[in-house]
Amino acid sequence: MNVITASNSHSVAPGLIRRLGKALSTPFDPEDYLALFDPLQSAREIRARVIGVHRESDQAVTLTLQPNRLWQGHRAGQHVLLGVDIQGVRHQRCFSLSSAPGGAPTISVKRQGEGGVSDHLVSHCQEGDLLTLAEPAGDFVMPGAAPERLLMVTAGSGITPVHSIVKSLLASNFGGKVTWVHFERRYQDLMLSDSLAALRGDSRVDLRLVITGETPRDGDQAGRLDEHWLTDNVTDAATHTVFTCGPAGFLDTVMGWHREYGRAPLFHERFQSAPVVAGEGGRVHFARTGGQAEAAAGVSLLEAAEQAGLSPKHGCRMGICHTCKCRVSKGRVRDLQSGESRELNGQEVRICVHAAEGDVELDL
Amino acid sequence: MNAKVDHFDPIVFERPGVTLTRSQVEAFGREIDALREQIMADLGEQDARYIRRMVRTQKGMELAGRGLLFLGVLPPAWLAGTALLSVSKILENMEIGHNVMHAQWDWLGDPALDSSTYDWDNTCPAEQWKHSHNYMHHTFTNVVGKDRDVGYGIMRMSDEQRWNPAYLFQPAYNWVLASFFQWGVAFHDLEVERLLKGEKSFAEYREQRRKIMKKVRQQVGKDYVLFPLLAGPFAPWVLAGNATANVTRNLWSYLIIFCGHFTEHAEMFSEAEIENETRGQWYLRQLLGSSNLEGGPLFHIMSGNLSHQIEHHLFPDMPSNRYKQVAPKVREIAERYGLHYNSGRLSRQFGTVLKRINRLALPSRRKPKNAVV
Repeated sequence: MNVITASNSHSVAPGLIRRLGKALSTPFDPEDYLALFDPLQSAREIRARVIGVHRESDQAVTLTLQPNRLWQGHRAGQHVLLGVDIQGVRHQRCFSLSSAPGGAPTISVKRQGEGGVSDHLVSHCQEGDLLTLAEPAGDFVMPGAAPERLLMVTAGSGITPVHSIVKSLLASNFGGKVTWVHFERRYQDLMLSDSLAALRGDSRVDLRLVITGETPRDGDQAGRLDEHWLTDNVTDAATHTVFTCGPAGFLDTVMGWHREYGRAPLFHERFQSAPVVAGEGGRVHFARTGGQAEAAAGVSLLEAAEQAGLSPKHGCRMGICHTCKCRVSKGRVRDLQSGESRELNGQEVRICVHAAEGDVELDL
Repeated sequence: MNAKVDHFDPIVFERPGVTLTRSQVEAFGREIDALREQIMADLGEQDARYIRRMVRTQKGMELAGRGLLFLGVLPPAWLAGTALLSVSKILENMEIGHNVMHAQWDWLGDPALDSSTYDWDNTCPAEQWKHSHNYMHHTFTNVVGKDRDVGYGIMRMSDEQRWNPAYLFQPAYNWVLASFFQWGVAFHDLEVERLLKGEKSFAEYREQRRKIMKKVRQQVGKDYVLFPLLAGPFAPWVLAGNATANVTRNLWSYLIIFCGHFTEHAEMFSEAEIENETRGQWYLRQLLGSSNLEGGPLFHIMSGNLSHQIEHHLFPDMPSNRYKQVAPKVREIAERYGLHYNSGRLSRQFGTVLKRINRLALPSRRKPKNAVV
């Protein structure tokens, strides 16, 4: 792929040129100026141009991306934090990469109906749009050499990382057998259907589609996953190494079955984290120093940290100088000035005017 | 506005012709708060487009300016190149850098325009600027002894500052400060006088000086060594162009900033006056300690919208492109409470600044409320 070639040729560029460029553009980066001519250029973030938009249905879309040279590639099964500007504001959400490593990365997105990043991409994303990517992450990957017998159990959006794993497996000299059972409510919700049809042509794959919400078409099954389904429907299911991904309840069933019967390892990927209970006040965890503190309603994160014996950087204590800005790794906070409460995931807030709502993890 | 003497609602603000009770000051504060909420809730794509276009314009002008200076042996190219570079440096420092570092654009979530990571084309390191400016100056605006922007440690800008004979020369060295403003700003963060008084440790001072010197080397290396070297035989023209652009930016930013707080009616405050200050009283001090400049749209942009100094001080983290929209409403509220809204053209406002500098070069005739060294 040309993206990869480009990135290789750049990385051997002499460090001297790079240093001269940096010295001439200080305190900025040469890329800040090059971005005038090519908006993909950036020294601080992976930017990617959308070069392909495949609308699977009005519910789902697969985007093919051309990232800039900061993109180092991903391992099959990993996910990436994707950023998109909506009404001028950067919104971020995690998506599994659905492509096998090596080519232009793709992500497949299903509408969530909450007006967030997914819905925006499904409805509005067009060729030529710019997105940002973080470093790919996640350990839902094949550890070392692939086992002979693999069982993939997926539902809904859970199809995306497993699609990446299976594609990369088939592109290698894999000589074993993959049984892949995918559960979907209706056909219109199914993502990557073209690619799935192509996979059926490979003798190493036994792909089964189970439709739970409407009448199955030729060859597909009806039914619903329960604790016996895998034993009843997959020969020697218990001896397979399992990769599973899907909604929380679905995962619980697969993992419950595996605990009972499984005789080979199981790898799973959970999309949604457990719901946070919003309340008045909460517990503040300090990620760096390791301590924690109970904060009553209306007590700012800064005060909570100070009561716990920390002395975070701060200034005005009234929300104007932004000296105290600190990253909240996760948790819900309430803006003490506007009263607004919101869920954070790695964003920075002014800790002098925000309070904890439930468990909050602060980068202090 | 007149208020009856009320034990439960005491008068907390008095100026000739105006008295405000505590509840009136708080009502004033709530009106200013409401104004802020209204604008902040309305931010969106238009604003994002504005700042991104500003960055592109500035970077484009800088590239064009530096390019033309390589042909600087031709006088028109030198003039155009120097002018473009000067304007681009002014835009970067004032409309982009100063405002980005105030966190005006943090809501975009764009790491290129984020206050925690942005550094500007100036010898003063961003980290120190954010402390001395965003915190010290904006929290303690015009409080003599607290806000070090009151005279930058070398000028007497208020009767409250004790006079000494060195100030006799301030009408002259004022112009030296103006020409080397970025250096003044960079080194005033060192707070040498606090070091001498023992309020600041030598280790802290040394660490700050190390950071400043690193930034200075990078800035000087770029404008006075690398770009001239790159121009080969045309080095003198590039060097002269870069130096002129830096001095032009210094003079212009000095002019705008001095007009922001040192005009005739801009008030100074003592530390005692801000004890237990409420948010309403803080707003009041920002209004009375700041002064606006009037002019066209281009003038406002070139001043980094610090021509709306009052609005900037009331709402330091509001995107600067919104100040002109909020200014008439602030003025209306101020006038309704009988408060002076200090606004005028650049020539008039700067005239009063020079008058202040000249007057305070001499010992004050009236006894200051609260003399501070």
